[in-house]
Amino acid sequence: MSRVVPVAVTGLGCLCAAGADLPSCLETLFREERNPQPPTRFGSGHPVRYPVFEVPAEPAGGDGLSRTARLALAAAGEALADAGLERGALAGKRVGVCFGTTVGSAMNNEEFYRRFRGGEHPEMAAIERFLGSNPASVVATQYGLAGPCQTVVNACSSGTDAVGIGAAWIRSGLCDMVLAGGADELCRVTYNGFISLMITDESPVKPFDRLRKGLNLGEGAAVLVLESEEVRRLGKRPARAFVSGYGSACDAHHLTAPHPEGTGLKRALAEALAQSGTTPEAIAFVNAHGTGTPDNDRVESRVLAQALPGIPFLSTKGYTGHTLGAAGAIEAAFTVACLERGRVPANVGFADADPELPAEPVRQAAAIRGDSALSQSLAFGGNNAVIVFSRGEA
Amino acid sequence: MSALAIQGIGAVGAFGCGVADLRKALASGSVSPHSVPVPAAGSEIELPVFRAATERLEEFIPRRSLRRIDHFSRLALLGACLALQDAGRLEADRSRLGVVIATGYGALRTTFSFLDSFIEGGDACSSPTHFSSSVHNAAAANVSILLGVTGPSLTVSQFEMSVPSALLTARQWLADGRVDAVLLGGVDEYGDVLGYCWKRFYGVPDGVMLPLDFARQSAVAGEGAAFLLLTREAEARYGFVADVRQGNLAGALELGEEPRLVLGADGHRECGTLYRRHLPAAARVAAYAPLYGSLPVGPAFDLAVAALAAGEDRLFAPPPQGENGLPCALLGAGRFGEGVLGCLKLGRGGDYGLISVVRG
Repeated sequence: MSRVVPVAVTGLGCLCAAGADLPSCLETLFREERNPQPPTRFGSGHPVRYPVFEVPAEPAGGDGLSRTARLALAAAGEALADAGLERGALAGKRVGVCFGTTVGSAMNNEEFYRRFRGGEHPEMAAIERFLGSNPASVVATQYGLAGPCQTVVNACSSGTDAVGIGAAWIRSGLCDMVLAGGADELCRVTYNGFISLMITDESPVKPFDRLRKGLNLGEGAAVLVLESEEVRRLGKRPARAFVSGYGSACDAHHLTAPHPEGTGLKRALAEALAQSGTTPEAIAFVNAHGTGTPDNDRVESRVLAQALPGIPFLSTKGYTGHTLGAAGAIEAAFTVACLERGRVPANVGFADADPELPAEPVRQAAAIRGDSALSQSLAFGGNNAVIVFSRGEA
Repeated sequence: MSALAIQGIGAVGAFGCGVADLRKALASGSVSPHSVPVPAAGSEIELPVFRAATERLEEFIPRRSLRRIDHFSRLALLGACLALQDAGRLEADRSRLGVVIATGYGALRTTFSFLDSFIEGGDACSSPTHFSSSVHNAAAANVSILLGVTGPSLTVSQFEMSVPSALLTARQWLADGRVDAVLLGGVDEYGDVLGYCWKRFYGVPDGVMLPLDFARQSAVAGEGAAFLLLTREAEARYGFVADVRQGNLAGALELGEEPRLVLGADGHRECGTLYRRHLPAAARVAAYAPLYGSLPVGPAFDLAVAALAAGEDRLFAPPPQGENGLPCALLGAGRFGEGVLGCLKLGRGGDYGLISVVRG
């Protein structure tokens, strides 16, 4: 794998439980605030009310679109505004959309199905909404974009993969510009699913902590505006950062558990670093997947201790919950923003070091040194994806 | 970007299983759909559906390993194994093999089985097995796990544009040198809920698909998997994917002069209107959906047909098309020759996918 040309990030948008836009999210992270609560948008028959991280506001966009699609549109709007791009500026350019999701691609409307299996004749509004809410298509349609469109459904690494794929589209000349990101909403079906797997914590998530018991679900969306150098320079848009490397690999081990030695993660990490030409000394920090599940955090800390010893790492899921298909994109946006600030927030939820883990995350907000940072995701199906960002021009 | 060499085809559908059955269906021009009962407001109706069987999977993978594998993943596994076998690479090293799977709806039946688990038993009885198998990338994961594929894995869900979109990434991986080969496949399954939706949206079809009768709704639901083994090699068993384009008709759709096209038209009147509007008069076209039905990943089957045509240097006579309102000529049997055969899919939202296949 040889080194590749970096791709500029010229705009960022993000909303999640930590904030309605990226600057608000960052303030929340550096204030070390979080407030997971039992879900308010759906009921649950579980004896324990597992907390989640909800986006408090109802995203705009109308009844005809799923909440996931509306979250995607909100993040895309912020990212384009951040890049200083108005709708008209996209006309005539080859603009692609690459989005990660999980819930946003699932035809699992519970109310519709309850009526169907109850022998009723349910109306088709829920299905029509599903068919009209593919996140990448919705964003492309809303902005009149004529380029390639891809919704990545690689479970929890979808958002990271979407950013890596979007950057490759720019590098190969397929697109002038790509809106790359991820979006996912909280949903009773996935809530039940993660509880059934017994990897959900009944208290606020504790990534990498000795007493970690599992994840808290969350929701949100993030978008990165990626641009070719030619188009960016014509528009005189500064790069907030560069996507300088991407790697992905499959464990081929288990449907829901990572390989105990992290074989796929090691390979993805090596590939991303080779693409970027980054040496470990240049890496300021790693935004880890850090779900707070016993298996994920054990494997991830072992791989990081082995491959990048001494490099600070943290999980931001303590502030956002696990936003599934959006997670990689939200964490990519946080990674870029932290690189710009030269600081990382504390790995909230971490208090006691686990003797089984060879490395511990950032305990307190800290200044960072180095021109690059990594964001990595591990997923059901054994998917592993890593992006390398390098410092922009600002 | 370099052309992709097509080294193997693995297809499973109502026509059967593997290249020989696909060729036989193309020769006969006819495959009969099954009659499937669909629950409808307390009663049942019969719906024609092109169903696919996966018994042959046990030729490749021990039955014991398949105990917890659902129909959706079995379709994908069988398609993947057949493609590797067809390429003569069943025993090849898979550390630099990538998996790219396209799906419109994912594991529909397991998705609803998971809902059944907590609707019937309460939230605390939610089935972890059904949940983990209902995730869209479960099929790609099972292919990687059971075949030992440790390269990158990707699942794309873009409804009827899933296949051209997925192919963009497969091409990128090969061009970037991330992998030496890619198993690219499309998979979708039929289930009761889909049958109900079909009836509500389109009524009950008579079972005769006439894809080029653009004024008639004749689509019959299908299921199956179609896989290709793609490499960067200079020699190809089934020709090459010379180009992939995916976008929206808001931009330009350039089909070239006198294009030869396998249309993704599959009996949906709404999309038929788009074909009628955008096909140039000099085009020659054929649609093969009557052999495998209407499913979001139909373009994977169209691509398999185009690849087989390139490999055998012959264009297959299409099944009855019912041409009505066709603004151009039919593409009949003949030599593939030196030209391009495009696989064109137009989607409801004005999306398009165009995959160009050449012999060499």
